[in-house]
Amino acid sequence: METYINSQACISHYNTIDEDFFFEETSVIPSSNFLFVTAPVYKDYIPANTIRRTSHILKMGISSGLMCLKNEGAEQTDAIIVGTAMGCFEDTDKFLRSINDNDERMLTPTSFIQSTHNTVAGQIALLVKCHGYNFTYVHQNLSFEYALLDALMLLKEGEAKNILVGGVDELIPPLCELFERAGHIKKTENLQEPIWASTSKGYVAGEGATFFYLSSTSTANSLAKIKGVRTIQKLKSSEELLEQCYLFLKEINLKKEDINLVLSGINGDSEKDEHLKEFNSKIALPIAYFKHLCGEYFTSSSFALWFAAKMIKKQQIPVWALPNTEAPKKLQHILIFNQYEDQQYSLICVSQC
Amino acid sequence: MEVQEIIKNLKSQIVEQLNLEEVKPEDIDADAPLFGTGLGLDSIDALELIVLLEKNYDVKIEDPKESKAVFASVKTMAEYIAAHSK
Amino acid sequence: MSTRVHITGMGIISAIGDSVEENFLSLSQCKTGIAKINHLKTNHKNEFVCGEVKHSNEELNTIAGTKNYNRTTILGLIAAKEALHSAGIKAIKEGRTGFISSTTVAGMCHTELIYKDFFDNKTNENFIDSHFSGVSTNEIAAHLGITEYVTTISTACSSAANAVMLGARLIKNNILDRVIVGGVDALSKFTLNGFNTLMILDTEWCKPFDENRKGLNLGEGAAYLVLESEEQVKKFNKKSMALLSGYGNANDAYHQTASSPEGHGAFLAMQKALKVAEFPPESIDYINAHGTGTPNNDSSEGIAMQTIFENKVPKFSSTKAYTGHTLAAAAAIEAVISILSMQNNMIFPCLNRSEQMKDLSITPISELQKNVDLKNVMSNSFGFGGNCSTLIFSKN
Repeated sequence: METYINSQACISHYNTIDEDFFFEETSVIPSSNFLFVTAPVYKDYIPANTIRRTSHILKMGISSGLMCLKNEGAEQTDAIIVGTAMGCFEDTDKFLRSINDNDERMLTPTSFIQSTHNTVAGQIALLVKCHGYNFTYVHQNLSFEYALLDALMLLKEGEAKNILVGGVDELIPPLCELFERAGHIKKTENLQEPIWASTSKGYVAGEGATFFYLSSTSTANSLAKIKGVRTIQKLKSSEELLEQCYLFLKEINLKKEDINLVLSGINGDSEKDEHLKEFNSKIALPIAYFKHLCGEYFTSSSFALWFAAKMIKKQQIPVWALPNTEAPKKLQHILIFNQYEDQQYSLICVSQC
Repeated sequence: MEVQEIIKNLKSQIVEQLNLEEVKPEDIDADAPLFGTGLGLDSIDALELIVLLEKNYDVKIEDPKESKAVFASVKTMAEYIAAHSK
Repeated sequence: MSTRVHITGMGIISAIGDSVEENFLSLSQCKTGIAKINHLKTNHKNEFVCGEVKHSNEELNTIAGTKNYNRTTILGLIAAKEALHSAGIKAIKEGRTGFISSTTVAGMCHTELIYKDFFDNKTNENFIDSHFSGVSTNEIAAHLGITEYVTTISTACSSAANAVMLGARLIKNNILDRVIVGGVDALSKFTLNGFNTLMILDTEWCKPFDENRKGLNLGEGAAYLVLESEEQVKKFNKKSMALLSGYGNANDAYHQTASSPEGHGAFLAMQKALKVAEFPPESIDYINAHGTGTPNNDSSEGIAMQTIFENKVPKFSSTKAYTGHTLAAAAAIEAVISILSMQNNMIFPCLNRSEQMKDLSITPISELQKNVDLKNVMSNSFGFGGNCSTLIFSKN
């Protein structure tokens, strides 16, 4: 049984909401160490009565989900599964500040109600009146991967014919400060090195909302299929990355030679990227990168999946995503290998339909 | 405070509190229903308005069931405030 | 495909006890854990009653053998360790083992204490490594030695039921042989104030399914079940406490927080669970209802039960007047309570309840019942975002 990506939608730093956009005018160097999204006109997707009280992540998440359905020409879905590591932080921040500023008195409910992690999934269900299976995964860098694994299992069980699956995380000023003070963010003076050749610590942070309409049957517009997903909770050595990769390929009946491209989750932190860089040099396959486009965030693998599916459909790789390497002649199988802070690695194989 | 004065203030406060970006305070009809039809507010807005009353007018609604009658329209809100203000 | 899914172990810590045994004692003695707030630092200390675990963080750290863990992590660890121990698991690697936890506010119990100071630059203590949801899950998994499949679910008050459901599906799909599933939530100012803004808290002891109910009492705690495949149970000669025979998740899609008057989402979840179990409705002997004590939930859930059981509603009760509403942990805590019911042939009553709800034709069990043969028990949990889940447990 195959799992097809029949449509997708992505809100990210670049103009990825335009379906024809394919990074024609871009740069290998991120413009800033915080990459905020380029938003659509939200009221084109979200009713005014809902939009007036929704926070940033909800606007992004709901629009992306509805855009994905629209791209498919679907009004409904059998199930909705979302991965989000940080949930609705803007609402959480608002309510917490309010508690502190008002000494726990005269607080208003809206930001509390919307701070629950499953609000994106719940709101989409509410707007399209979907009574089906509705789950939200909140497991840091593997939140989207677990959402995807669940979707694959649900399709295999025959419990749903089509599923809306998404990865969403927001970047707002308090989070920028949090990450910066934790020493995670790349200093602006170190931005000039491309992330794959970085000699400095820290990463460029990002945000995004990406949704996929998955099904066990393909259509003429199907972009790609998902051959498999694997999560690696704890890494003992960089040899383990290679071992896990080979085990994964065996599981999905592919050999290393079948993989045309590795889309790597290198984020520019010279220290934390070390194991993945070692893997990249040992695997001896063409390596492309994506985090200079979307920034680093817990559900960035959803952006990577969107990107890989698009490359496979178009049979093209934007040239600056593939430094120092000749482009493969065809793109039949792409292997996404993601990580965050040298923890919680994941493998996703995306293939031509 | 006079009811008319309260009505005028309430209109701007409601627009601000409930983030009704597309609505101008002066366009709100004081007699029109706030919930269901009219402005189309819902139960979450009712809770927001309960806080608005306490914060701006020091008027407390203890039982949410009371709020339906109080929030029927801007006018009923203003009358309730005028009657319960200290 | 379908192997049967057994429950071979349980662990729990709640307002009514630090272990399965202590919880059972309180349940069978009709002793509530709802009391004045003792440990949570809040301006509402004297205003509300809660189902607080009866230990400070220092005491909990001592019980767990840890140092300076936040309340969420320690509660989860204590319950998970008990579950593992009760399942007689000597070596984690005896089978493909997973850990699925759930939480609504995770490390908030600690974050809220330092949030203001952090952003006022009065402290550099960064909560980035303790606040987010997956953190306590990973910490507990590390203590248990589980590395293979570790994840966290967050669907508000149905979270732990969904964790149980996912665990069962992973076993049935032959991805795991066994999985520890459940949830944890610690009391926090955030949730106490949050529910207060919704005006659904009762300042007094809650009265689920009573006509004069005013709202819920918040609680805290953790509970985990050990689920194992039939093959695993046979291979290691395990004692099966119960079967997980059915489960279902559906969405009400009516309102962000309120349930539809007819309880459509609840109805669908119960319907799905019965379908998975392949049981007709009349095979259910007892329902442990979600029964929070809010005017909205109890009405909506009652009507949904009347609809699906076509007015032949089995005996039912809510046990939230014992433990409080423990949010993400609720479904797991109530799963343990449901299994204790079955094991001991008892129905734990709706405490503090006396007056018939006018909009329902059904009446919950309000006195402790003994010597009741319970073959199949249903447990409901419904959360914000319209998330409705139902589990069915059966005697093996």
